[in-house]
Amino acid sequence: MSVQPAARASASKVWEENAVPRHRIQWCPGCGDYGVLNALKLAFTRLELVPHEVLLIGGIGCSGQIRNYLNGNGFHGTHGGPLAYALGVKMANPDLRVVALAGDGDTFAIGVENFVHACRRDPQVTLIVMDNGVYGLTTGQRSPTGGLGQDFPEFSEEEPPPFSPLRLALAAGATFIAQSFSGDPKHAAEVYAQAMEHPGFAFVNDFSPCVTYNKFNTYDWFRERLQPVPADHDPTSLEAAWELLADFRRRGRSPLGVVYRNPRRRKAQRRVPMWPQELEGIDLEPMLRAFR
Amino acid sequence: MAGRLKVLVGGVQLRDGVGTVVDVVGRIATRAGLHVLANERNYASTIYGAHQFDPLLICEEPPLSHGDDQVDILVALEFDSNPDAPQQPNRDTILRHGAHLRDGGVLLYDASTGTVPTEALEARGVRVFPLPARHIALRELKREVVKNMVVVGALFRLLEFDMDQHYLRALLEERFARKAQDLVDLNLRAALRGRAVVEEVLRERGWPSVGYRLEPRSTSEPLLFLSGTDALGVGAIQAGCRFYAGYPITPASPLLEFMDRYLPAYGGRSLQGQNERESIRAALGASLAGARAMVGSSGPGISLKVEEFGLAGAAEIPIVVVDSQRAGPSTGMPTKTEQADLRMAISAGHGEIPRIVLAPSTLEECYTLIMDAFHLADKYQCPVFFLTDLTLAEVRKSVPQSLFRETVRIVREGVLTEEDLRRDGFRRFRLTESGISPRIFPGTPGAVFKMSGTEHDESGFVTTDPPRRQAMMEKRMRKMETYLREDARGPQVYGDPAGRPVLVGWGSTKPVLLEARERLRAEGLEVAVVQITHLWPFPTHLVKPVLQAASVLIVCEQNYSGQLADLIQERCLLPTRRILKYNGRVFYVSDIVRGVHQIVRQGIGEVRVAEALPVPVEAHEGE
Repeated sequence: MSVQPAARASASKVWEENAVPRHRIQWCPGCGDYGVLNALKLAFTRLELVPHEVLLIGGIGCSGQIRNYLNGNGFHGTHGGPLAYALGVKMANPDLRVVALAGDGDTFAIGVENFVHACRRDPQVTLIVMDNGVYGLTTGQRSPTGGLGQDFPEFSEEEPPPFSPLRLALAAGATFIAQSFSGDPKHAAEVYAQAMEHPGFAFVNDFSPCVTYNKFNTYDWFRERLQPVPADHDPTSLEAAWELLADFRRRGRSPLGVVYRNPRRRKAQRRVPMWPQELEGIDLEPMLRAFR
Repeated sequence: MAGRLKVLVGGVQLRDGVGTVVDVVGRIATRAGLHVLANERNYASTIYGAHQFDPLLICEEPPLSHGDDQVDILVALEFDSNPDAPQQPNRDTILRHGAHLRDGGVLLYDASTGTVPTEALEARGVRVFPLPARHIALRELKREVVKNMVVVGALFRLLEFDMDQHYLRALLEERFARKAQDLVDLNLRAALRGRAVVEEVLRERGWPSVGYRLEPRSTSEPLLFLSGTDALGVGAIQAGCRFYAGYPITPASPLLEFMDRYLPAYGGRSLQGQNERESIRAALGASLAGARAMVGSSGPGISLKVEEFGLAGAAEIPIVVVDSQRAGPSTGMPTKTEQADLRMAISAGHGEIPRIVLAPSTLEECYTLIMDAFHLADKYQCPVFFLTDLTLAEVRKSVPQSLFRETVRIVREGVLTEEDLRRDGFRRFRLTESGISPRIFPGTPGAVFKMSGTEHDESGFVTTDPPRRQAMMEKRMRKMETYLREDARGPQVYGDPAGRPVLVGWGSTKPVLLEARERLRAEGLEVAVVQITHLWPFPTHLVKPVLQAASVLIVCEQNYSGQLADLIQERCLLPTRRILKYNGRVFYVSDIVRGVHQIVRQGIGEVRVAEALPVPVEAHEGE
């Protein structure tokens, strides 16, 4: 899967309308989220999506701003909520393309309940987590994925070791699990495109460095540590996915690419009636019969 | 029967089948054209073992309210020993409710483990019928479950009702769907055995009858027997609700079950969230995608949803929130009634948002007012709170089927089409005179929206510029002025308030206040009743002119502080007196009548209705 140069030119054009102009973007210079933004535009273009059919649901934090920097419908709710809103949107209108764009704190701390159950429910929603290990917008407090790669000879309740989103997703039953790096937008775009084509809940953990508050997990640190998933890995095998994660863990590395992909059979779903002509003049008899 | 009969069925929760007996009797009486009202279903928040009772009022004409706690027929289904009184089986129902049994009433009890000393009751003229229902079921019919049908048969004999088993047979055949004829026959045999026992007692004691008699009446149209929650559910679906989300909680779970059962047939979807927040978030998602959406919960669940109310207000997403109030605080008494969430509904959340609070006062209004709730949510793009309470949610009542013939016209205010967009362009939060901005649903060609709970400009982009913030805040809150001008409804007024004491209520207490009014009139005291259904934004301009004419305002509420009374004082600057009850039981007409006398004649400002503890079991000396 590759993106053509001509398409790239039109990508910026279509996806920059109805959005905050680039000079007003409020991310720090060097923020990893720029890479995610570029990769998203590439992926949308690659899939030939039409902006009005896309709904971007942002999380709270720097990452959530991305919905305003792209064309398409955008919604921004409460902290931890993106996946639950997305669930409702998809249940009401399965035709919409829903992409949730959230941070690691939003998804794995306050929103972990919604994350775990999204893995189980498997709505046709793409989740891209911009994982930087810190709460950037509130000036750098540690998130659940914080401390990645640091040595924890001892730990405390206040500062537990980081946990692995990929293992959590796998354990919770997610059907598409991948990892990408915003320092490599071209590869990330390919992963996103695959995620958006997945007929179920697709989770992409994107390492997106915070250059202001996380001085440890830098671009160079990730480049050194991230390795592509081996070409012979079978992503449709759950056992292979667990083994792959264990193997990377043993070697102190993290995988880049699709770790697991195995769609679940789902019932066909129709759009919920929304317009007066679909709602009026219904027959109440089936309900009333039960009360005789 | 003097037009009105109250039967109270009591027993051990889950074991004795109190619910089954009441359901069968209620349904059959309704089919026979009688008006049934079961307004006070008393159960505990345990599955098994607690004392449960369910009073059932059967009338020839629709009753005004459930009246007093006095009963005509007491049915005690406990068959074995009360652990507190091993020598006195079957005492719990009799101990708790014997005092409410009217002189000359009837006691029917399960005598499977022996008879009960009932001299005290008999001295008051009560006719006692020991019925070994469990023994008959277990030993003669070999199926313990049919003991309830033995009781139903006995009860019908006492009431000289359905002697040819016409109604009972029809109900049983439907219930077993003609698949198990032997089950139908077994149940009918059980009913006949119950009847035979009563006949024997009547013969032995030489009583010709017990003085109660139910007669089927012909009605111009069929009556339905359903709960307030059922009526609300029908109304919601008729009003276009196609997405419902809830999380199990008493007493809102039946709404979730109703929607699970019926929404799919109308193309809608119902979701049991993994928690309260997932529920409302999914509903908000469905709503912004264009579906008419509703969530339901009770106090503790509403508390958990509070953050999302703020979002719905700020991002201007329509949502109907049903709060089936129960007794708080915290998890309080999950199965007992209270009206203490008014203050929460009008103010829950940080900051200020436009919101509308409605409270139905009867089962019929659960059906009609919920339609208004959906209309208002759509029109004003804000949360609409629908405050029912446990009493309203669980009341079961016979209503004519024509109640459900209301037609609705579904208006989707301010939704732009592709043509509108081409002509006018689109800003999601356009500053308008009315405060209501045009909107689109995602997927509409020609435009996209940007919506956010963060403060935003007209296009939906984040901003904290003071003038933009101020304009947006004022735009949102202007909706409330528009609402007060166009859609606020004044109170329902019964009688002329001028110069008289006025009883003011909200929610499920209205029927009781109306019956209290009749009773006070019979005693020579004329009062008026004012019921407020549209509670927020408070329609001061409609309420104050009505209330200020009164000689004294008596606000009757089931909470500790008098939340509506405070609201009236705050908004109308009128002093109020209060009758308050918060022990978990419903108001009885006598509570109100007594309270009014105390206030009007003795000048008491605040009456707190209390109830005596159940009579303690006498312990033997030395224990």
